[in-house]
Amino acid sequence: MAEVIVRQLTKSFGDNTVVKSVSLKADDGEFLVLLGPSGCGKSTILRLVAGLEEPTSGEIVIDGKIVNFVSPMKRNAAFVFQNYALYPHMTVFKNIAFPLATARMAKAEMNVAVQEAARILELSHLLDRLPSQLSGGQRQRVALARAIVRKPAVFLMDEPLSNLDAQLRQQTRLELMDLHQRLGITTIYVTHDQVEAMTMGDRIAILRDGELQQVASPLETYEQPANTFVARFMGAPPMNLVPVTVEGSGLSWKASGAGGLIDLDLNAMGIAQSIISVHASETLKLGVRPEHLSLAAVGRGLSGKVRFVERTGSETFVTVQMGDENVVVRCSAHESASVGEQVGLNVRIAQAQLFRADGRNLRTN
Amino acid sequence: MTVISDQDGRDLAALKRQSVSLRSLKSSVSYLVLTLFTIISVGPAIYIVSPAFRESKSLFSYPPQWLPNELYLGNFEFLLTETNYVRWAINTLIFATSVTLIALVIDTLAGYAFARMQFPLKRTLFGLVLATLMVPTAAVLAPTYLLVRLLDDWTFGIVGIDTFPGLILPMTVSPLGVFMMRQFIETLPPGLYEAARIDGAGEWRIFTRIVLPLLKPAIVVLGIFVFMMQWANLLWPLVATTRDETRVLTVGISTLQGQFVTNWGVIAAATLMTLIPITIVFLFFQKWFVQASVAGALKQ
Repeated sequence: MAEVIVRQLTKSFGDNTVVKSVSLKADDGEFLVLLGPSGCGKSTILRLVAGLEEPTSGEIVIDGKIVNFVSPMKRNAAFVFQNYALYPHMTVFKNIAFPLATARMAKAEMNVAVQEAARILELSHLLDRLPSQLSGGQRQRVALARAIVRKPAVFLMDEPLSNLDAQLRQQTRLELMDLHQRLGITTIYVTHDQVEAMTMGDRIAILRDGELQQVASPLETYEQPANTFVARFMGAPPMNLVPVTVEGSGLSWKASGAGGLIDLDLNAMGIAQSIISVHASETLKLGVRPEHLSLAAVGRGLSGKVRFVERTGSETFVTVQMGDENVVVRCSAHESASVGEQVGLNVRIAQAQLFRADGRNLRTN
Repeated sequence: MTVISDQDGRDLAALKRQSVSLRSLKSSVSYLVLTLFTIISVGPAIYIVSPAFRESKSLFSYPPQWLPNELYLGNFEFLLTETNYVRWAINTLIFATSVTLIALVIDTLAGYAFARMQFPLKRTLFGLVLATLMVPTAAVLAPTYLLVRLLDDWTFGIVGIDTFPGLILPMTVSPLGVFMMRQFIETLPPGLYEAARIDGAGEWRIFTRIVLPLLKPAIVVLGIFVFMMQWANLLWPLVATTRDETRVLTVGISTLQGQFVTNWGVIAAATLMTLIPITIVFLFFQKWFVQASVAGALKQ
């Protein structure tokens, strides 16, 4: 086990800089998730840590040693690929044993290690099969067994579940979490799926265009996103962002938007009055999660017209149009709102976020 | 709901008939063209069978006789007892097998280097390799001959005219083989190399343990190509050999043609016997051949 640190890591391919001065730390035994949309540089960071790419600048430290110029095999990190990267001409046994055979381990010892890895991942009955004779989930388990058999200090996983169907993905997700709990190996896990990130990670590092946006626990990224990008990226449906202008003084602050006026309880929101008064002249964005909104009778607060009603069975999402903005409200399964109806909206203001014009969260920045 | 009327039904039936007749016309034309090409390519090989089993004097009888009245084996007997056919056959086997094995080693290694390794002037060098594909063999015959003669002195006669190394080595360099191997290696998923590198494998181990086993179909196809080409190679062996000790079948058979009289029955028998091993090789590896030809066309 080891901690992994990247400092000021930058990677360019020609004129294209895909990782921009990223600094990160995965603690010993931590499950750190790199999350972001396609092309944000998360896989590149993983490949840089693995040694499959050379950084343009910056430092990579594994277990206290700078490994920038250390070959991939000597970094003591195992990599699980998105497409499994199993050797198609080798049996499951030989696939798992390959890193040990390369390290010239004695046959008897190798046999014990492979059997143990196969037992942990429930592959003992499949050792004589070729990868082409396995299902997607079984192949993924072989890839994991090949990774754990070396007893690496760090696991690097590049979207390992993205080739599986929804049901198998959920099952394998649980298996991965169980494996991490049992082995306690430091893991850096890349995904673009925020549900995977939320459910698996001890902490999540969110990236956009090669830049780090926020590193925090899953709940913190959800409840107190650092900026509007994180606010929109985490959660489905995403956080509602409504442009507002704030005005007031002392304890009385109000946000006025297209939908009406809202009282801002700055104390409950954890925003200092001195901060808000500095930004009062900007057009701010009020961020509210769909579950922090509820439908009410039309009153003096926010109001709008119901545009869509989407029922999922366990809950209902109601889209309300307020001027040019649409906001989504998470309601109970039997919510009776109908399209075209005029409704009022209650906001749980203590949970709401207020973002500056440049996107940064006033509560956290 | 749409209701189909009788008229619509009749139109549909007519359209169906039209489509069926168009399809049969297309397939008839295809068969005709394919039959024509089959006759052109297989015809000479079949034509050689009859004269091989007939006496030479009956070959020019009038009216022409297509099938022998009896199986005459004298041509084969003459070949095996009065000529050095067996020696030529052994020489051909040594020549074709050696060229094939050496070419496969060179082509797979060079193909791997061009496909996977980074080195200065890689693109230029590969361009040069491809450029040599456009130079006809006959054009480099004289320089190759001169080079081998020079090597005769430099290597104290080990590589020279009328020696097996001199006959074999110039044929082992095949730009087509390098190109083919590079293309096959490039189709292998990069993840395999990366996984192997992380698993601790160096370049040689990746090549021998991962790439070579996956290249088996391509190696077989290239091997058959090279073997067949060298088995039937006439031009270079004709220049590089002057004695029966190193002569191959193609050159040997050409010596059977006299200046004034030629025993065509014997030549036909020799040609037939020369064709048989190469046909067997092809039939034996046919499955691999087809497998490699469609490799990449199907989803893995």
